[in-house]
Amino acid sequence: MTTHPLQCRGLVVTFPDGPGRRTILDGLDLDLAAGELVTISGDSGSGKSTLLAVAGLLRRSDAGEVVVAGTETAGLSERRRTALRRDHIAFVYQSANLLPSLTALEQLQLVGHIRGQRPASTRARAQALLDELGLGERSHQLPAELSGGERQRVGIARVLMSDPDVLIADEPTASLDPARASSVGELLASAAHERGIATLVVAHDDVTRRHADRHLRLEDGVLHEVDATQVGAGAAG
Amino acid sequence: MEATPLGASFVNAKSGDGSPSLDLALFGVTADSFLLDGEPPTAAEPGLVLHRDLEDDGVEVGARYVLGGSGIELPVLGFTDAGTYGHAPIAFVPLEVWQEVQYGAQPDGRFSAIALAGDGDAIDRAGEAAELDVLTKTEAYAGSPGYSAETTTMTLIRGFLLVISALVVGAFFTVLTVQRTRQIGLLKAMGASNGYIVRDSVGQMTVLVAAATAVGVALGVGVISLLDGGEAPVELSLSSVAVAAALLVLSGVLGSLAAIRRITQVEPAIALGVEP
Repeated sequence: MTTHPLQCRGLVVTFPDGPGRRTILDGLDLDLAAGELVTISGDSGSGKSTLLAVAGLLRRSDAGEVVVAGTETAGLSERRRTALRRDHIAFVYQSANLLPSLTALEQLQLVGHIRGQRPASTRARAQALLDELGLGERSHQLPAELSGGERQRVGIARVLMSDPDVLIADEPTASLDPARASSVGELLASAAHERGIATLVVAHDDVTRRHADRHLRLEDGVLHEVDATQVGAGAAG
Repeated sequence: MEATPLGASFVNAKSGDGSPSLDLALFGVTADSFLLDGEPPTAAEPGLVLHRDLEDDGVEVGARYVLGGSGIELPVLGFTDAGTYGHAPIAFVPLEVWQEVQYGAQPDGRFSAIALAGDGDAIDRAGEAAELDVLTKTEAYAGSPGYSAETTTMTLIRGFLLVISALVVGAFFTVLTVQRTRQIGLLKAMGASNGYIVRDSVGQMTVLVAAATAVGVALGVGVISLLDGGEAPVELSLSSVAVAAALLVLSGVLGSLAAIRRITQVEPAIALGVEP
């Protein structure tokens, strides 16, 4: 097992912009160690979500390389990239992104089903994770019957169900009130520091940043280290 | 083996008392014809022996009808299970009357066909002797005027209904897939392969199409059962219902495959709200 489950080298992403192209990522480098929580901020449209999509193998870059769990991915087929994503990467989204027709328990069992496991064989572990995150009594509720904070915690439980090496989260606390945001921030920190998951979070809230080992700011297509003393002083998002 | 001449044509019969006119298949037969159970009408006492359904429609014995443009007026003598020919109820008349209706004053002994009754071998021998083709009942139906065109039309209608059902199901599942684009992107982001999602989708579509077909068959059988015995001729055959249902499920599933290409084109980056 590599000590850096996620490495990005010289990433370049451009988008069509009128007659020319606009550069979103401009030779971006990022190394994420196992058990490390890194937060990223940046202006709207600076390319944060694009960076997460490229680092999470959801889209390809125009140039550069993403190395996941020691495997270089630029030359891989979509089938291999999908398998690598399934086995090593998990996502937490801004709006939980739960499937509306599945209960909380089934959301977690779906992770096993995609991996070819029978639902009966994953039920105990799924229930244990929901219990651990304080959702044991809510395991048979549909997403529509859960609060925003509960939905986000089910989303994090779904991540833990896949036992990933890399966790990628896109503003997971943006739609939550401060108390629930704090709870979710602590869960992400716990995932990184106690379970050893390399965690990359786009976050503007101080709670998540306070737990971060490093904070980076995306500007002009590259990442800049932010002084730790600025964190918690309301650094610009 | 028996043989008897037969005249066959279509005629409109106008009622003498203002009752609705009748479209009839006019069969001219001889007095000793085996074609008609019971007593055939005779030239001495000419009249119409009608298909029994007309009695149910209110036609009465003794009512008088003028045949086509011939001006010949005949009374209704009785009813028999004659059946229909070319969708018109059969009316037996004496051959001489039929010839006069059809050819006027100089019929020259003409008729449409010779009807034979006997076993198969005798018929075959008669056919060979007269240098005629001997056909089965099905072949004869197919050779009658308009029959093959009519059955082809019905087959085309059924074929188009299957194609239309495939298009409707295809459109339904395409809309369903478009509505689920973000969910499909999410599954892909979780590492689900195209094969996994396609298998899952086709399974759901098959269950839905089969359930909808079962409901449709139940409704159809119910409606036909209600119509059975009424004026419209209906027939409920288990094999034809089973074949139609199987074709409907098959065409529906084939139609749903139109949505598969769309599924494979969904990009996982949609889960993050990023344009691929």
